Amino acid sequence: MPIFIIILTLLLATVCSFYLGKNIRRLEKIVIFSAIIELITAGYVFFSFITWGQINFEPLFSLNAIGVLFFCLIALIGSTASLYSIGYLRVEMAKGIITVSQIRIFYILTHLFLLAMFVAISANNPVLAWIAIEATTLSTAFLICFYKKPTAIEAAWKYLIVNSVGLLLGFLGTMLFVALALKGVGTNAWLSWQMILDNAKNMDPNIAKLAFIFVLLGYGTKMGLVPMHTWLPDAHSKAPVPVSSLLSGVLLSVAFFLILKFKAVVDIAVGQNFSQSLLIFFGILSIIVSALIILRQKNYKRLLAYSSIEHMGIAALGFGFGGFGQFAALLHIFYHGLAKTILFLSAGNIFLKYGSTKIKNVSGALQALPVTGRLFIVGFLAIVGLPPFGIFFTEFYVFSAGIKAHPVLVCIAIFALILVFAGFLKQISAMILGKKSADIPVGEANAWTYVPIIILVIIFVGLSLFLPDQLKTLINLAVAQ
Amino acid sequence: MTQLLLHFSYAVGLVVFLSVIGMHLTRKNTACVLFYIFQSLAVALLLFVPALDKGSILLMLAALLTLIIKVILAPFFFLRLINRHELTFSANTYLSLPLTLIVLALLFGLAYQNIFQSLLIFAGENMNVVPLALATIFSSIFLIINRRGALSQIIGILSLENGIVALTSFLKVEQVPGLDIGISFDIAVWVIIAVLFLSMIYKKFGTLDVSTLKELKEE
Repeated sequence: MPIFIIILTLLLATVCSFYLGKNIRRLEKIVIFSAIIELITAGYVFFSFITWGQINFEPLFSLNAIGVLFFCLIALIGSTASLYSIGYLRVEMAKGIITVSQIRIFYILTHLFLLAMFVAISANNPVLAWIAIEATTLSTAFLICFYKKPTAIEAAWKYLIVNSVGLLLGFLGTMLFVALALKGVGTNAWLSWQMILDNAKNMDPNIAKLAFIFVLLGYGTKMGLVPMHTWLPDAHSKAPVPVSSLLSGVLLSVAFFLILKFKAVVDIAVGQNFSQSLLIFFGILSIIVSALIILRQKNYKRLLAYSSIEHMGIAALGFGFGGFGQFAALLHIFYHGLAKTILFLSAGNIFLKYGSTKIKNVSGALQALPVTGRLFIVGFLAIVGLPPFGIFFTEFYVFSAGIKAHPVLVCIAIFALILVFAGFLKQISAMILGKKSADIPVGEANAWTYVPIIILVIIFVGLSLFLPDQLKTLINLAVAQ
Repeated sequence: MTQLLLHFSYAVGLVVFLSVIGMHLTRKNTACVLFYIFQSLAVALLLFVPALDKGSILLMLAALLTLIIKVILAPFFFLRLINRHELTFSANTYLSLPLTLIVLALLFGLAYQNIFQSLLIFAGENMNVVPLALATIFSSIFLIINRRGALSQIIGILSLENGIVALTSFLKVEQVPGLDIGISFDIAVWVIIAVLFLSMIYKKFGTLDVSTLKELKEE
């Protein structure tokens, strides 16, 4: 039922935004309404699951522990980014950068984007999940080229082509798994994830391996794993900031969610070693490449985009190492989603103030934006994994899980993280602590641009210092499944 | 009857594969679209077989939808775009024609490698036609990489999708028709968005040659 409430709310929000037209206040009210419903529904899903277990609306939808975790993450980040976009778009419209029609399109596509992600997480069938993931590409392509600049169009084109090829490979892998499972079930059946899992032990191991490779390449492209990451920095840097935060904070994780679903199947079919080796390979590669690029990055939105690749690499590494690393990796994804949204939304305020995403054009952000500057620093400290923030602990646990079996890889990863810290410190300190130019006025744009970030910071810091038992139980269940 | 179906599958597999080879060889956008129509028609016919075999109206609807989207709707948009912007010739390839042919031969050989042996066994009586579908998939990916023209890249992606649909059909994957309809709907939306992007690129850059899109690199 809660899944249908979300789907219905976002569909209604899309249709209303389309028909109610150019009345900005009405469009904003729809955004606020849908954000509130998302949060309430996510809360209901979380506590219902903790109390009663599996949430089903079969045959179409079903949520297990890992699904509930990602459902809550999408709701939390989705609603925060949506609320932030109200203030952000108001400023851009006041500056004459965008028109009312563009704002309407923005809200319509954002509602559809969120809808597609919720469906992908809740879908009880891998092909339905694939259709939803493909829908995320279609809904975000126009959001990436929202400003219609040549660079934005180029980034969106790259995004469309690379992701479409990637997702078609993912589709091929999905269909191979479906073919293997259908052999045990009989043709023309509605295949639930559970049915695929139940048939996994009878699958041909060679085809299962081949299928997982295609799935990993396909959804790995969407997740931004190196070397399939090429679209990510361009798309993240050209999209409007609320969209960048959604792409980075949740979309990458949603793609990883699907990889994990198939990992569970292939692990039964051929044993854990196969998928773990692949995840370790792509994970370490992603960490190393992103660390080297972060060191010499000149654009702060691209810097954050490469940081997302690095963190997806750490999450992949956690699942590659197995054991307690999986618990840490899931928690890492959750923390990363929150921290990266804080950083992207703060970066949005910096962009509104300075009108540039180049690091050399931004200095004295702490003076110019007293609230945002502080929030940005918190985000920076969190994302580089300094204590007492949650990412420090999850990275620590991921590496502890792998130190015995893969000491060299862990050392390389830690060295790469030191490089990331150095790179971030060099770039961020120049932006935040430098002296502000006299022509930059002091002050925040409006409350919508910082209150949602403050709420996220409170949640993030709270969850870093104290992890509720319910959340621990949920993640433990997710790992067990 | 089974023998006839096998011959039919092989003929379809051959058309699907030869179409993508034709796409590689032609320099004209219109010819590229025509090869795509042949390929899509063959794939749509492949989908009609289980629909007729089972007498399922829903499967028939899904096959019909595929036919409308791939054989009529997508080519219509492409041909209109070609006429509107006079895009008679596609942009060059990155590799020369002899090198392209060598790579295609290698990709064809790859489809027969041991790594795919289990897939052939799994396909049972269709084992001879599975390598053709695999070769179509590989050749389509190569088309996307090798072509500088944005329209050819789009057709390459659609050809890749055709190759996958053909492969799943040869592997006798029959899923719920609702999902087939969902996939077709996704493809239809994708085609519309891709065509809108092609128009946008042409308006902003004055060409569909993607090798001229270098704005991002200069940042």
